[in-house]
Amino acid sequence: MRNEIPLEENLNSGHLACPGCGGSLSMRLALKALGRKTYLVLTACCWSIIDGPFPYSAVKIPLMHTAFETAGSAASGIRAALDILGKKDITVMAWAGDGGTFDIGIQALSGAAERNEDFIYSCYDNEAYMNTGIQRSSGTPWGAWTTTTPESKGEQKKKIMEIMAAHRIPYAATLSPAYPEDFIRKYKKAKSIKGTKFMHILSPCPPGWKTSSEQSMKLSRMAVESGVFPLYEIENGTKYTLNNPTADFKIKPINEYISMQGRFRHLNKEQIKFMQENVTSEWQRLLRKLKYA
Amino acid sequence: MQSKIKVIPTTLKVKDLPPTAISMSNMLFNKTGSWRNYKPVYDEKLPPCNATCPSGEKIQGYLYLVKNNKFAEAWQLIKQDNPLPAVCGRVCFHPCEVECNRNDYDESVGIHNVERLIGDYGLRHNLRVKIGIKKKQQIAIIGGGPAGISAAYHLARMGYKPTIFEAERQLGGMLQYGIPSYRLPKNILQKEINSIIKMGVKVKTGMRVGKNLFIEELAKKYHAVLIATGAYKERNLDIPGEEARGVIGALDFLHEANLPRRQAGSGKKPTISKDVVIIGGGNAAMDAARSALRMGAHPKVIYRRTRNEMPAIPDEIRDTEEEKIDFIFLAAPVKVITKNNKTVALECIRMKLGSADSSGRRKPIPVKGSNFRIKTGTIIKAIGESPETSFIPASLLKDNLVCTDKWGMTAQNNIFAAGDAVTGPKTVVEAIGAGKRSAQAIDKYVRTGKVTHTEIPEVKPVRFEQLNTAYFEHAPRVSMPHLEFKQRVKSTKEVYLGYKPNEAITESDRCFSCGVCNFCDNCWVFCPDMAVIKKKNKYEFNYDYCKGCGICASECPHNVISLVEEKK
Repeated sequence: MRNEIPLEENLNSGHLACPGCGGSLSMRLALKALGRKTYLVLTACCWSIIDGPFPYSAVKIPLMHTAFETAGSAASGIRAALDILGKKDITVMAWAGDGGTFDIGIQALSGAAERNEDFIYSCYDNEAYMNTGIQRSSGTPWGAWTTTTPESKGEQKKKIMEIMAAHRIPYAATLSPAYPEDFIRKYKKAKSIKGTKFMHILSPCPPGWKTSSEQSMKLSRMAVESGVFPLYEIENGTKYTLNNPTADFKIKPINEYISMQGRFRHLNKEQIKFMQENVTSEWQRLLRKLKYA
Repeated sequence: MQSKIKVIPTTLKVKDLPPTAISMSNMLFNKTGSWRNYKPVYDEKLPPCNATCPSGEKIQGYLYLVKNNKFAEAWQLIKQDNPLPAVCGRVCFHPCEVECNRNDYDESVGIHNVERLIGDYGLRHNLRVKIGIKKKQQIAIIGGGPAGISAAYHLARMGYKPTIFEAERQLGGMLQYGIPSYRLPKNILQKEINSIIKMGVKVKTGMRVGKNLFIEELAKKYHAVLIATGAYKERNLDIPGEEARGVIGALDFLHEANLPRRQAGSGKKPTISKDVVIIGGGNAAMDAARSALRMGAHPKVIYRRTRNEMPAIPDEIRDTEEEKIDFIFLAAPVKVITKNNKTVALECIRMKLGSADSSGRRKPIPVKGSNFRIKTGTIIKAIGESPETSFIPASLLKDNLVCTDKWGMTAQNNIFAAGDAVTGPKTVVEAIGAGKRSAQAIDKYVRTGKVTHTEIPEVKPVRFEQLNTAYFEHAPRVSMPHLEFKQRVKSTKEVYLGYKPNEAITESDRCFSCGVCNFCDNCWVFCPDMAVIKKKNKYEFNYDYCKGCGICASECPHNVISLVEEKK
């Protein structure tokens, strides 16, 4: 029994996510943790479609669709409006994809974080512009195939967590839907903290990653276990806490994680080795930060 | 559900719309179940432990109940199949643990330890099983060993009042007279047998077939007769000097050693010399060696193959080794050296292993000229048993065993047979299983006049590879408290002391629950479409919305959910 998972459902069936979507499950878990007193700000992303066409909505809470670059500013405005109305008990959550966070929405996000606006910013990162046809974003990992990097992406994934940590916001965390208890705990913690909270969720995308739908949770789990997407929290931009379920700070090889995904199929042994070296050095960098914290 | 869904007509006019774009209904109208190519279904499968248990215990079931602190329910469940859980928890060779999928992960679940605790719990709390509607047919059971007791118990549960005819003074057969009390305390056995007698089983002791009891007469007097006489005729060594004083059979030795002092015919324990030699590598040999050790001797065990080929239960071999008993492997007896018809030494010959024989074990071949002598005053033969069949009508026999069909019916319609008399020497739990099957067959026979054979299709148990082990944590088996060497040799006290309830709960929690739902919530938690509905004691799929992604099936740790192709 997973007793720590709230029974409350704030998302309805019938939404338009692809089968096996990590983003819809992430939303479901986040709304379980936050409860009904939540206001959702949604920029252009997969979720703009998933929620349903006008005049329908799949979530059971107020939701505002806004333009691509405005998650940070729209959430700031809603927060201010609610504060004026005296509705301080309502949590505001901005929900954006990696494109809307890493690329298009970064200035609004950076501005809001600098002002330490009181809302939760959730970035469900499926590592490309999946909704519009799998174009690369600065969240796409090195070596991945996308429709705009038909050979393979030559640049590294942007270190968004370090950018957010550099804003010295009170709370930033990485989350994976494969670890629902950790996921719920982090959202509840974020809800309890005043100021800008940044939640980075790795969200498998079966059509974009070229995987089969039933493997979504396995991929999420392997990304965490292999150190590709370690689970950790940063408080006030400096205090790092590792939540990775890996024993003795050891990470598993990335090979199985890579080989399960069609978007990495073209990579040869040397390229996978290069990726592994990158993951290992990033992991060690993270461990060093833990030590200094 | 349907009535709540408000579907907005697509022909909305602008004047009908609110001033700002706000949603007016939810997405429940959109039945995403139509996207599905594969459909998940709850499809419970057979755990390997249940599949391999000769008495058909629902092992996963009682481990689940123990895990949830429901000991009485666990006892009731075990008692549906096995009348002697406290006994089996102690003496069974637990093939369930060999098949346990946890072997491929770390260590098998200590099933027999939990079973023992459940059995003891039932005895301590005087639990009772439910007895069916009274039936008047008379059934005779010849032999009060495990097979006979099991048949009597299951018949009593169905509402019969069967009669057991036992040759010895007490019921139990090999359990009573073969298995030493440091493995199976007599009071535990007695309590478990008494609880079965209380269910309405009549017992007549001192009734030996061929002497004061005749099968043909019973077959006329009773509606059905079950032959469960076991296998206790000991095999001979066939070497010179075997008839000398000081050469005894293992079962005779164990029988004498096991009797309380006042009951033994001679009034005292069998006398053995300090340098006793035991010949054989089976359970009887181990029991004899360990009993001799407890009588103050320094036993040696001679076996013609090596440790790997020994037929005894691995646990018993380990315990025997722990008690520092000497083994002489690759040696076979050739001659008993006697003086005035008294044993003084055993001449042996060295063996080497050749190619595999019909039993799959490598055949021992004598090495010429390698004879050697071991000084000894007592030689215990433990080279196997066979059923005593001289008193059984020849028409029922084949190859010196009672010949039956799959359900235990012999050539004569109302005579059934079960246990070692049918199979040759096997184990306690196999006899219990055979007793249960023959009880079912007898019930069918006395009610309908025939036993119908229903073929049960063979179901393959769940394999380790089919489980999702990501949700299992590595945990060592809870160790069984036991007496140390020094305490063991001084007394015939039970060696293993048994789990405490909290230890049994921890151990049961290690069960993978292969193929059976144990309400871990994974399917419910990981469904992106809220299509798994959590109910009180089950989960249900909402096929209106299930998109068939298959996450539930792949994340189910127990391989309970199967994906089947959607027929469109």
